[in-house]
Amino acid sequence: MVHGLTALILALFLLGVSSGLGIVKNIVDLWGSLLFIPEYPAVVLRGIYINWRSRSQNVEWLNSEVTRLRNENAALRLELAKLGGEKVFASADKEARTARVTLRAPMSWWSEIRIDRGEHDNITQGLPVFSRGYLVGRVSSVSAMSSWAELITSPSFMIPAVIEETRELGVVAGDGTGAVVLRYVPAGRGVRVGMKVSTAMIGEQLPPGLPIGTIAGEFGTGADGYATYRVEPGADMSGFYTVSY
Amino acid sequence: MLLLLLWLGQDLLTVLTGGGMQIPGLFMLGLTYRLLVDEGSEDSLWAIWAAFAGGILWDLRWVGIPGFFTLGYVVVVLIVIQVWRVIPPQGRESGTSLIVFVLMEVSQIVPPLVPVLVLGGSIGWSYFLMQQVYSLPAILFCMYVYLRKVRSNNP
Repeated sequence: MVHGLTALILALFLLGVSSGLGIVKNIVDLWGSLLFIPEYPAVVLRGIYINWRSRSQNVEWLNSEVTRLRNENAALRLELAKLGGEKVFASADKEARTARVTLRAPMSWWSEIRIDRGEHDNITQGLPVFSRGYLVGRVSSVSAMSSWAELITSPSFMIPAVIEETRELGVVAGDGTGAVVLRYVPAGRGVRVGMKVSTAMIGEQLPPGLPIGTIAGEFGTGADGYATYRVEPGADMSGFYTVSY
Repeated sequence: MLLLLLWLGQDLLTVLTGGGMQIPGLFMLGLTYRLLVDEGSEDSLWAIWAAFAGGILWDLRWVGIPGFFTLGYVVVVLIVIQVWRVIPPQGRESGTSLIVFVLMEVSQIVPPLVPVLVLGGSIGWSYFLMQQVYSLPAILFCMYVYLRKVRSNNP
């Protein structure tokens, strides 16, 4: 009992006076340095754990940063493409070059037209042609004074396109009977009638952002999970006499 | 020797967790266990001074001000000794599970409670509660070892 009380009083005494003693700091330091040796394995293990955790956190952070930068990059590319498209429209508007349709053969009514502009008018192969501001086709062959343009209703006309509201990509193609379809769009992506369709920036032949038309309905979804949509061309495909380029 | 290893084990675990997790008071659990199983020995001086030494070393290592855990450890030992003396030796062998549990719990509650009471602060209280949660498995393990030992002594 005496020992117990002595220990208690000593503990209380230490508690009361030790905080003000400078020597306590030295003892604490000395004891800490003595314990360094037995504690060393724990220190090393903790260091390994901290390294591993910070590395995994770094990887996580880098992954999220890569995703963020990718998204930012995509958005910037889109902006750039829009600017490029606007430039195309602006220059087209500025120059306002028009060509007259000189031939539209009944046998290839939905496939091609001939226009009265050629090499002398700086027409080049692949140049897009418009009617009422909407894409109707692209120049497929050029001669000195005239050119042939393949129409978007042609079955061999296939270009990458994008639904502007959802940014879903697909391929615009004609069916040879006056209809235009948008194929290979993943089903269930919220595509609605009236959404705008324009050329996609992934296409090499045409600049991105050229307006084609609007979604007019859905044909259905294939077994592969891709939907096909009917596209209403913005241009009057059966009644144009001139095109701009 | 076992107490020294337990003290060191408690210290190493605290280093390993970097203070982020409150380690159970292994040293005091071991000391309490020894006091409970040393039925024949009426002289418990060693326990008082072992608790004093263990507490002062812990204070010097982790608190920086000697006295906090020293006081707590000594108080725990005195409580255990007094309670255990009240129970007759025959009674210690059977039907004491609850008392043993309470004494072991006391060994985990009192030492960290002293700095919290003296220094205060909500963080101190949350650390204290965390330690109580982490201590529970160690207490149950100690109880299991104790009861096994009692049963093997009284088959």
